[in-house]
Amino acid sequence: MNYILFRNFILPVSAFVLLIPFVLYANAGEEYTIYMSVLSSRHHQWDNIDNPVIGIFRSSDIGETWEHIGWRGYIRTFYTETGPDGTIWAACGNGVLRSGDNGKSFTITTGWEITEVLKVRVDPGSPGTVYAATAYGVFTSADYGQSWTEMNAGLPVLPFTSDLLIDQNDSSVLFAATEEGIYRSIDDGGIAWKPTGLKGMGIRVLVQHPQDASVLFAGTEDHGIFKSSDGGKTWEQRNSSLEHRTVYSIVINPVDPAILYAGTHGGGVYKTSDGGENWKQVVDGLTNFDVHSLVILPSDPGIIFAGTLNGGLFRSADGGESWEFNSQDGGQVWGLSVTAVQD
Amino acid sequence: MNCKATINWQTIAILTGIGFFILSLCLQAQQDFRERAALTLQAASEDDERNLYVLTAKLVQGVDREATLEELLSFTDDHVMGGMFYAYQMIGTYLHTKDFLPDELRSEIHRAYRDRTMYRGDTENHWVMYYTGLYLAAQTWPGLDGSEWFNGKSSTENLIEAEGWLREWMHITITIGQGEFDSPTYLMTFLSPMLLLYEFAADPAMEKSARMILDYLFADYAVKNLRGNYGGGHSRDYPQDIINPLTAPSVPWAWLYFGEPDFIPWDNPMGEPRHSGWNIVFAALSSYRLPEIIYNIGTDRSTPYVLTETKRTRNIIRFAGQRNLPVYKYTYMTEDYVLGSLHGGILQPIQQHTWDVTYVSNKPNNTLFTLHPYYSGKELAMFFPEQKKFLADEVDRYHKVYTDPDKWNASSPYEQTMQYKNTIIVLYNIEPGANHPHIDGFFPKTLDDRIELDNRWIAARHGDVYIAFYPLKEYEWIEEEVNYRWSSYDLQNGVIVEVGRKLDYGSFDDFIKHFSAASVEVHITEETLRVIYKNRNDDILDFTYGGDRLVNDELVDFSDYGLFDSPYLQSERGSGIITIRYGNKKRILDFNKSTITEIE
Repeated sequence: MNYILFRNFILPVSAFVLLIPFVLYANAGEEYTIYMSVLSSRHHQWDNIDNPVIGIFRSSDIGETWEHIGWRGYIRTFYTETGPDGTIWAACGNGVLRSGDNGKSFTITTGWEITEVLKVRVDPGSPGTVYAATAYGVFTSADYGQSWTEMNAGLPVLPFTSDLLIDQNDSSVLFAATEEGIYRSIDDGGIAWKPTGLKGMGIRVLVQHPQDASVLFAGTEDHGIFKSSDGGKTWEQRNSSLEHRTVYSIVINPVDPAILYAGTHGGGVYKTSDGGENWKQVVDGLTNFDVHSLVILPSDPGIIFAGTLNGGLFRSADGGESWEFNSQDGGQVWGLSVTAVQD
Repeated sequence: MNCKATINWQTIAILTGIGFFILSLCLQAQQDFRERAALTLQAASEDDERNLYVLTAKLVQGVDREATLEELLSFTDDHVMGGMFYAYQMIGTYLHTKDFLPDELRSEIHRAYRDRTMYRGDTENHWVMYYTGLYLAAQTWPGLDGSEWFNGKSSTENLIEAEGWLREWMHITITIGQGEFDSPTYLMTFLSPMLLLYEFAADPAMEKSARMILDYLFADYAVKNLRGNYGGGHSRDYPQDIINPLTAPSVPWAWLYFGEPDFIPWDNPMGEPRHSGWNIVFAALSSYRLPEIIYNIGTDRSTPYVLTETKRTRNIIRFAGQRNLPVYKYTYMTEDYVLGSLHGGILQPIQQHTWDVTYVSNKPNNTLFTLHPYYSGKELAMFFPEQKKFLADEVDRYHKVYTDPDKWNASSPYEQTMQYKNTIIVLYNIEPGANHPHIDGFFPKTLDDRIELDNRWIAARHGDVYIAFYPLKEYEWIEEEVNYRWSSYDLQNGVIVEVGRKLDYGSFDDFIKHFSAASVEVHITEETLRVIYKNRNDDILDFTYGGDRLVNDELVDFSDYGLFDSPYLQSERGSGIITIRYGNKKRILDFNKSTITEIE
């Protein structure tokens, strides 16, 4: 009986579980480009608009070198993301910028109605479909930014949205991180929204478990980290040993999703190895403890980058146990993202 | 019968005489404008300052032509100016001087609109400058595709976008009020672009709209002008301009259009202005002429008047229930002083100036006011999208004084005002734990008298203007360079200020005598902060912090406030119609129909 159980169930499941890292580690052979968005810098000269210390930077050699792309003048670049077809999108004060020529030139795709764009998210299955999280709510384009539609129905009166999450299993489902809690889209494409937890809290970041789409994590202003195991219906606080409760960024190790990192205000980086049950501060080598952005290298999840507010970019090669300053001294590294290099 | 006929003849003769006199004054005003404009262009063209206004003046005046063209060429690769300033100034220079520009330089200016980063900015004045610049540039270089423009959009797309926002801004401004209203610092960033739009918009409808919004902006300014001082509460102002009003950037504009103050602004006896003031060059070159009715409103101070207004807050993006909260303003104008206030609370981040009394003087620092030097990340995060725990430090990098306990500009959630004519009550109910929990008052050293009476009233005098100042709580004086800083440290606090003139109060001794016997009813409990005060005119002001404002037992209802209500300006909120009156003349701006109607 035990053998049958072992043979028919445990063995296949174990084999599957053991294979997951190898399946995911197929990424190991891929090359990745990291995009860094530097909102401002202590070295930014206001009497010189041509500042190569702010704007969009990218590295294709794990942060050994960085290349500045796009405008060098101040347009408040919050975040940059690349779609599956290689189109680069930037969330800026001037609106949503798009580059279809690998960063050689950028076009502002939005008009006066859209401003203070904090995040841009590209539908992984439909690269022309883009969502913008802005200080004035959520906007979407289905045609590469040729036209944009406001989608604030159901959001708070002041629909300030810090982040957007596209459900990895169903890209018609969106989650919005607003200043008054988390909202979930209720129609295809998020035509309208309904609240789905953490009412009244300022939500700074939303992430999804890479293998179990029902598991979500939210980073908040002042209230720490919350976890949902039922697709956002209910949320539980996960703050054990998390001393700094304003959480700007969360990333999940794609190979071992029990490992998460959280970038906090004043507390640097926190790490959990048990899916958020317990956290520990990992700041050895960090010299700025306001960590606003984090990114993990999919091909080597021990390599993590942490973007700070005015302290520049730091890199860890040992899963966050120690950090080294990497670049952009004095830079406010608002956003980080990673994308596979296109063929 | 004969007698009657004589009176009629006399009346007709007198009226005719007055008519000619007024006509001659108006003609004089226009002539004076032309003279001041010519003086401006001449002086700017002789200046060494490196900016586009000066270069424009030099080219128009034919001064140092070759060197000026070379310098203008260098501006096409300028890496100094903010994008929105550049966007409108460069096209303004181009349009005013293109007849003097060689083809290559024209091409280089055109190229700048392709290659240069132009940040749109994050304030109302930024967008007015950016979109005016974009509109005129797109109109100047039509039919180009996106590769010819810095933002990747075609000429047509840029023109449509710019027009869309400019019309939206005009609509909001004339229905619910300006956001960056009554700013001695930023006034020019609205007037100057609109003058360009009026001058150069090829579309007659846009030219007309620019003309009408200019009338609106100048009328709004005129009604608060007191001999070059920009009276009343201000949305945004720099500390130096608050404490020395006749050095503010608005002063050259008052001089150019109203002939006040009576000194040339680039030779300012009141002190060194922060800006050269050459931003009036585009105005000096403009064919826009101030309607005489607005000129008269700006200069005739023979009869005191009350002005109530509604403005709006800057766009609030979080921590409130509404995008643009109404701002209620009250201004009392006399020939000698102006007392004005905003109703209180956080209405603008960083640079709010809630109230003051400013008096006519030939000495600097001719103003008196109080404030709570509040700051907080949350206040900033209401208006800026960056992180609230980080914003105060960040703002301090640019504005230097935001977290300074001694600053002279601030909005505070713990400050409320009640004004009735010449009397104002300002109450502070500061939450324990709030940053900088004290209030400060600015008393200039240029006052002739500052006397502390036995009953806590402070009597101040400058010339024939008297100010009675009653602090609710104990206080101290700190001597500073140009002023005495009045500071008080109680969380529940406030002041009563009554302003008078020799004309109304007699001698200063009589004034002191009156206030030596004046009493104030103050009720302070943990829950209540209430002041009842009967002023010398026997008007009773009854003000409860967070509660009612009563004047002679009548409730002050802000919802009754129009966009403007005064003898000179009237407009119902949302109507889109502004009526400008002076004497028996009216000028009606109907933005719904795009018409200007003049009635005598």
